Amino acid sequence: MCIYEDQIGKFDWRQTYVGRIKFAQFDTVSTAKKLIVATEENVLAALHLKTGQVVWRHVFESASTGNIQLLHVSDKIVTVSGSNPYLVRGWDSGTGVLLWEWSLTLQDNDNADFSEWWVQQGLLVHMLPAFNSHIEVTMYNLLTGHNRGATSKLPAPWINEGCVLTPPFYSCISGNVGAQRLLSVDVTSNAVQIISKPLFDYISLDIFEGNLRPLDANSAVPGFIIDDKKIVLIKNNDFELLSVNVADESASASIIDGSNGALLLQAWTDKILGFSLIAHNVNSGQEVSELKCSDRNLRIPEAEIAAVMCTRTAKEHHACRILVNGADDAIHLMQQGGRVLWTREEALANVVAAEFVDLPVSETEATIESEFDQKEGSIWAAFSRRLQTQFQQLQTLLHSFQHRDRMVENSNSNNLVRDYFNLHKILVLVTDVGKIIGMDNLSGEILWRRYEPSLDAESVGVFTRRTAWHPPYDAYLTIVGKHEETGNGLIISLNPINGELVGERFLQLDARLLQCAMLHRADEEKLHGLAVLYEDENIQVFPVSSERLVKDMYIYVADRETAKVQGYALKYDGKSAYAQKIWSVALGGAGAAGHRIVAAAARSRLERTHSPGRALADRSVLYKYTNPNLVLFLTEGPDPVHKEVVRAVAVDVASGAVAAATSHRRARALPLAVHADNCLAYLYRSDKHRRLEIATMELYEGKERWLPAGAAFSSFASERAPAVQRQAYILPAAATAAAPTVTERSLTDRHRQAYNLPAGTTAAAPTITERSLTDRHVLLALTTGAIVEIPWAFLDPRRPAMPTAEQREEGLLPYVPELPLPADAVLNYNRTVHRVSALYTHPAGIESTSLVLATGLGECARIVRECTRTPLASSSPVPCSPPASVSVCAQCASIHVPRRHRVHQPRTRHRPR
Amino acid sequence: MSLTKTNKKFKWALDFSQKSRTSASDLPSPPGYSQATNANYSESSKDTDSNLLLIKKLWDVALGPLKQVPMNLFIMYMAGNSISIFPIMMVGMLIVRPIKALFATQSTFKMVEGTQAAGQKFVYFIGNVVNILLALYKCQSMGLLPTHSSDWLAFEEPLTRVEHIGGGISML
Repeated sequence: MCIYEDQIGKFDWRQTYVGRIKFAQFDTVSTAKKLIVATEENVLAALHLKTGQVVWRHVFESASTGNIQLLHVSDKIVTVSGSNPYLVRGWDSGTGVLLWEWSLTLQDNDNADFSEWWVQQGLLVHMLPAFNSHIEVTMYNLLTGHNRGATSKLPAPWINEGCVLTPPFYSCISGNVGAQRLLSVDVTSNAVQIISKPLFDYISLDIFEGNLRPLDANSAVPGFIIDDKKIVLIKNNDFELLSVNVADESASASIIDGSNGALLLQAWTDKILGFSLIAHNVNSGQEVSELKCSDRNLRIPEAEIAAVMCTRTAKEHHACRILVNGADDAIHLMQQGGRVLWTREEALANVVAAEFVDLPVSETEATIESEFDQKEGSIWAAFSRRLQTQFQQLQTLLHSFQHRDRMVENSNSNNLVRDYFNLHKILVLVTDVGKIIGMDNLSGEILWRRYEPSLDAESVGVFTRRTAWHPPYDAYLTIVGKHEETGNGLIISLNPINGELVGERFLQLDARLLQCAMLHRADEEKLHGLAVLYEDENIQVFPVSSERLVKDMYIYVADRETAKVQGYALKYDGKSAYAQKIWSVALGGAGAAGHRIVAAAARSRLERTHSPGRALADRSVLYKYTNPNLVLFLTEGPDPVHKEVVRAVAVDVASGAVAAATSHRRARALPLAVHADNCLAYLYRSDKHRRLEIATMELYEGKERWLPAGAAFSSFASERAPAVQRQAYILPAAATAAAPTVTERSLTDRHRQAYNLPAGTTAAAPTITERSLTDRHVLLALTTGAIVEIPWAFLDPRRPAMPTAEQREEGLLPYVPELPLPADAVLNYNRTVHRVSALYTHPAGIESTSLVLATGLGECARIVRECTRTPLASSSPVPCSPPASVSVCAQCASIHVPRRHRVHQPRTRHRPR
Repeated sequence: MSLTKTNKKFKWALDFSQKSRTSASDLPSPPGYSQATNANYSESSKDTDSNLLLIKKLWDVALGPLKQVPMNLFIMYMAGNSISIFPIMMVGMLIVRPIKALFATQSTFKMVEGTQAAGQKFVYFIGNVVNILLALYKCQSMGLLPTHSSDWLAFEEPLTRVEHIGGGISML
């Protein structure tokens, strides 16, 4: 899939994120003012001061070796990263080019985590406190790493864990209760001078809790806050208590150099009053009114000042830029008076779940549909209705002529309607911090956001319980997670179009959840019920009226650490719904301990397969084993002979039967498994060959089908054992089935193959199309930042080593272990997406097109992908029928899309040949 | 004498000079003329003769399709089983011609009445059917007939399911 140059950005966008800000500093030296940030995601980046866009960015290692310990911005940027050994690097602030680098290894590895770093007069100071004993201070030349003299040890038996560093002072509260003293020492001075004052000089000891925190945002004057109440500065080797008290317990305070001496800046968010910012003159204690702001509508949870820069204007006014970091990982750049210049939603660097939601149809289309919905009535009624609607349409037309100007303005905000090919959707993204974001998938614009601090998004389920296809009712989306503190279940139901809470709204459950599932039958309001399975194996259905719709429903619960999978049947006995445990499987084997589930891949809920088999060269059909209840589990664990083994087990989770299994010796699994239709693929790292391999499986019923055409598939009905090929991969795990219906059943005819990958992979997903007629591709996000699509024809497990004439006619490629990764298979061309955590795919309303969302630690991208079928390598039946004509139409249409878009393009560009 | 001499001398010469001497009744019949056949000749016998001819002719027409069979077999053999423009055209001809002929049976046998008409029509019909069958066999061997299950695969309804599942990795 290649695109033309003028199609860049037409079907895709990319947003660049850096993660939660750890350190931030304004770059005031270089001509183009920038904001230099270092983040929890180990990213060093420069943000444009006016727009907030990333000017340059470096993504370090995601492991602890990439942790950024220090960011110092002067004329050059200095970072200390890693954790023993540390890397000290200098960067050019304008371009982000690495200028120098040296490494540093500490002898004392155990306490290295307590290290503190700062830069002082061209020297890098490293301080290592040994609690209740001494402080070790070492200074290094910043550029070369030369140690200036030996490590100096300052005897300090008074230091403890509660001490804070406000460079160059190290301050503690020490002593017996009632006689505590406030101690501070300048660790860099040659002569050891300890400032020691009794604590009751500053605060009443009766209510003292022993809390000490430093001022935020590279405070101009070293200082700290005692017990969230009093601010103490260190000036001239003495403590100075500020006359200004801390405005709010949660307030973040910082001292900046203002025009008339130092200014104290405090920012906090009140539940009722919203965000507040006040400034005081440190010397006089007077409030500086021009910086003050209080905004009820601005919600920045646990606001914290990350960086401040103030310049003097001609009229002795303050022109400040304040960077405020919130607990929801959003950063806001404000100017004096509280006007927000830009906001970055850094929570999007950590998306844990995403869902594509269909948009409602436009009003005119809705009226047309409602007109044809009404089936009853005589011919005269239908005629009058027809006249009526045509009159209405005429009215709206005239109305639109009258208010054309206003319509144009409104169209920007009101264009959330489904388009003809259903490409326009809303993305609901659940992030790690508990922020839920609704995003337009065509532009990437954030439509709404909700911050739920109590949502623990570690294992979260997102269910679209009602789409917008049922006009009188709004779309309905439910997020099931855990409560941050109690671990109990938490249900958040909202309208995905506008982000407003609906239905259950914000519901805290009383017990912990095992799992949850959406019922397949909708009630009268087209709402699918939500069944939650509690820890004590009871179920509850939301809404309660949906309980009677519980039928033929099964829930499986896989325990990651013990590799045990349990299956429950949900039943309704006329009064209430209950869960019955019907099977359990130990995937690691009966005796083997230490096996854990790495990944579980079920088929997408959206997948509808329209091809029951695969046409062979002799024109017979190899029927697929399309079991919609099949789940692929990937486990890994120790093995007495082969060190480590990876097992892939496909389990029918309704009946508990094992459909297929393989194992790989001396291998470690990656948490990447792909399951679509009858195709299974997973990745593992082979220790034996020291490479990454992707193993694929396909399940077939054989040339005779088990069920008559059109019959509904039932996991319990297919007990008839067909005479199909058996391969010698028998899972040693005892499938202990509690249900009497489960008998030994034959393994399906399956093919497996392993391929090598020439790059590291971080995420994998299959493409999904409307009818699954288009060739399937597997999308892999590589460590290089590319998202490549591999046609399933390359991954086909039936690829023979020496193809016969028939197989060649069928289009099977001869087996080559190395997978090609050509540059034109890269979906995101040169827009690299670093550290992709997951790929989400969704069918568009047009066959052969699939929507792809890649969420990464650094970035977030979405691509509308158009793939065409190649007749030779088609896995679906050779077309000569209505579905085929649909696919042909779709191809024309998919070509039509860019053309349509091009019409709207204001300027025409030369199309390269 | 001289005459006999000349008679003898010219074996094939006719002597017209003796005409006057002999009576008219004594005149010999012209060569190839037989008095006996002339007497028995009648109109009715002439009529049955042409009918026989027509029947013969119509049998030729009726048997025509059957006579084409060996030729068609040869063409089919030569055309091969590959799918390209000429074999397709030939197969098209093979199948279209007998069908056309079948539709034109009525006009072909328009002027025919009589005892053998039904038989002729039947033979004609059989011959064309044989040709069609041959053409179909050719189509079959070329793989043009949707006789395999794979040809009807795309018409199948998508799979429906009885059980529905939910769940995943434990949320505990």
